[in-house]
Parts: sequence; C-alpha cells; structure tokens
Amino acid sequence: MNCNEVASLIAAYADGEVDRLRGHSLAKHLAGCAGCAAKRQAILDLRSRLRAEVPYYSAPAALRNRVLQSAAAAGASRQTQRPSASERWRWLLGGALSGCAATVLAWVVGTSVLDWRAGEDLATEAVGAHVRATLGNHLIEVASSDQHTVKPWLSARLDYSPPVPDFASDGFALSGGRRDYLGGHPVAVLVYRYHQHIIDVFVRPQQSVTATPALRTIRGFNIARATGSAMDWVAVSDVSPDVLSSFAERLARNQSPASDARTQ
Amino acid sequence: MTAHSRFEETVLPHLDAGYNLARWLTRDAHDAEDVVQDACVRAMQYVGSLRGDEARAWFLTIVRHACYDWFKRNRHPEIADDDGTAIEMAVDSAALSPEQMLMRGDQARVLADAVAALPMTYREVLILRELEELSYKEIARVADIPVGTVMSRLARARALLQRSPLLQAIDGHSSGGG
Repeated sequence: MNCNEVASLIAAYADGEVDRLRGHSLAKHLAGCAGCAAKRQAILDLRSRLRAEVPYYSAPAALRNRVLQSAAAAGASRQTQRPSASERWRWLLGGALSGCAATVLAWVVGTSVLDWRAGEDLATEAVGAHVRATLGNHLIEVASSDQHTVKPWLSARLDYSPPVPDFASDGFALSGGRRDYLGGHPVAVLVYRYHQHIIDVFVRPQQSVTATPALRTIRGFNIARATGSAMDWVAVSDVSPDVLSSFAERLARNQSPASDARTQ
Repeated sequence: MTAHSRFEETVLPHLDAGYNLARWLTRDAHDAEDVVQDACVRAMQYVGSLRGDEARAWFLTIVRHACYDWFKRNRHPEIADDDGTAIEMAVDSAALSPEQMLMRGDQARVLADAVAALPMTYREVLILRELEELSYKEIARVADIPVGTVMSRLARARALLQRSPLLQAIDGHSSGGG
C-alpha cells in the first residue's frame, strides 16, 4: 500500500470501519510511515478531546417524566383491562426518578475531578463495547448458565481468572460470557439476563484504589461500578438504575475473600 | 407486547442519545426538549415496525426528522446550505482571544463552541460518530445519505475542527502536555 491509498482509508481505519485484511496492510504501512501515522493519530487525538471536552447532554428529568407520563397515558387508554401494565409503569417512573436522584448524588459526591474523568472514560468505553457487542451480534461467545463452564472458558483466554458469581435465585440469570477490551486490555465480560434486559458485567483485576460504587448514565445506558475480590466490576445495562446499582453492590459484597478462594 | 411496553423497553433507554442529538442540532435546551417530545410521540406510534436490535439508530432517525421538521416550522436559517464559513465567522466573532480563553481555563468550552459552530450537515455526522459512536452504516441510515457521503462529511467536519484557529492556538500551547 502506498501513501495515496492509505490516505483514502485512514479515517475509516481510525473509525474501525476497515476489514481485517486491509487493516493489516494499513498497520504495516503505518509502522514504517511517520506521515501517515500522524494523520491517524490526529483523528484519534481529536476524538479523545471531543469525548473528554464536549458535553454529552442527558435528557432532563422533567422531559423524561413527561415522556413517561404520555407513554403511560397512551398505554392506559389502550390497555384499561391490564392493571399489571400500569403498575409496571408506576414502578418504572419511580425507578427513573430515584435513578435521576441517584445520578445527581453520584455527581455531587464524586471524589475528585481526576477520578471522575478516569471513571468517565472507563464507563464510556464500557458502554461503547456493550453497544458494539450488541449491534455486532457477538454479545455471547460462550453460552452457558453454568458458572463452571463460563469461568474456565474465560480463564483459558485471559491472564487472570475472573470470579463468575451466580445470582439466578435473585432473578439475574447467567447467560454466558465473552472476551472484550477495556482500556486496550482484554477483559472478561459476564452476560446476565434480568427479565427482558441484558446486563453486561466487565470484570478486570482491580486497578484503582477508589472503592466507591458509582452510578452513571451514558447514552441511555446505566453504568454501575463496584470493587471487590481484587476485581473492578463495571455493569452496563438498560435496566433501571436502582436495580443495576443493587446488582453491582451485590457483586462486590458477595465477592468476599472466602468465596473467591472457594471458586478458585 | 403492547406498543407502550415496547416503547418502554426498546426506545426509552435511548432517550439520552435522542436528547443529545437534538440538543446539538438545535443548539438550544428548550428547543431540544420540544423536538424529543415530538419524536417520542412518533416513536410510540411506529414502535411496532422496529426490530429490537437497532433501536438506537431507529430512534435517532426519528429525532433527526423531528429536528428538521421543527426547523422548517420555525423557518430556521439552519437548514440553508452552509459550506463551512460559519465556523470561521463564529471563531472570529468570539469575544475572547485564544490566549484569554486559555487563561480562563476554558479549553473545553473552545472545542464545544467550535463543534456548535460547524454547519448542520457536518455537525450531525460528527456527533453521531464521535459522541454516539454509530457505525458508518448506521449514520448513513440516520442521516439518510450514502456511506460515501458520511465519510466525506466526517472528513470535512474533522478538517474544520482541526484547522479552527482557536484549537490550533490551544494545541500550540499544550503540545508539551499532550
């Protein structure tokens, strides 16, 4: 590949839109061509600045409530015979409200700007990975509800052995796992189902000392973080924030050193 | 499944994405709320035609349509064609010089202002790619343009930002620290 051919593909390459074969030739060219490598780096630099400095506007709570109410009204007018549906809506409305409150709280309590930034990047990356896996249909690489199947599969493909807790009795059914990337490193992802929802749980060896479970909402997905059993846990899902944060807390709480020793 | 429970499960998780797009297109918090509410009404109506795995791009398509309809209704100058002079004008008319901005620690605002000053057609593909992280194919669907046009608009948007005088001033100042 020469510089002209590379120039026409460099943006697509930086955007992850180039097939593996071309990607390989591009990588080979970039390794030996400082000019083309700089073009790619400029796109990546601009991207990380955009994601760090440009605000992502979340829907205001008032708007969310108005939408919920009009949806509930539309549903109620069609489904007057089904109280269970409207009850579910009341629950969801409550969940959304308390979720908003929890999000605001998490923002206010955030320990320092630096910690927040690092966590933000991690959360944004986790959401990105979750969305890519969902859209690309590779959410689950090892499909099993058995923790003794999922754990060895992941251990064989990573340089650490992630705990694979089972919460089926609490309504969080283990569906399987996959290998994904976080911060440029391969990490274990456990996939749980909660009713109709999918919960992605990224598990990696603990890297930060801050053990505060934090809750964030990014791009409409809720992210809950927890630390326990020498692992960082990042749960990404579209389930309501209160359900997700209690799940993350349970992940952290259940991973006592004793239970970890048992699973190993 | 009823329409409203489908809406609840597939569309509602992407309300933030919809609002973010509307907020960047309208550049106004109040207008963005109007647009998103309108989009939600439409989404509830047509949610039956949605396949579950493409909810986000689907909802963003509706939000974008609602935005453009809103612009038409309000005779907004935004939809007039713009070849990228807006960003230079916006930069020129900035009250503060790059140095003053830097002194105030407004680096983040500078980039946000430069994005807001991008012409609509470039701004929307940039937001969809860099903030919403949609693929070229999804952006093509949302913005109703061919993939080739997505690529050329994205390249133009990036070039406009990279050569924006304000950003270059900042890059010059902070090249040591990254």
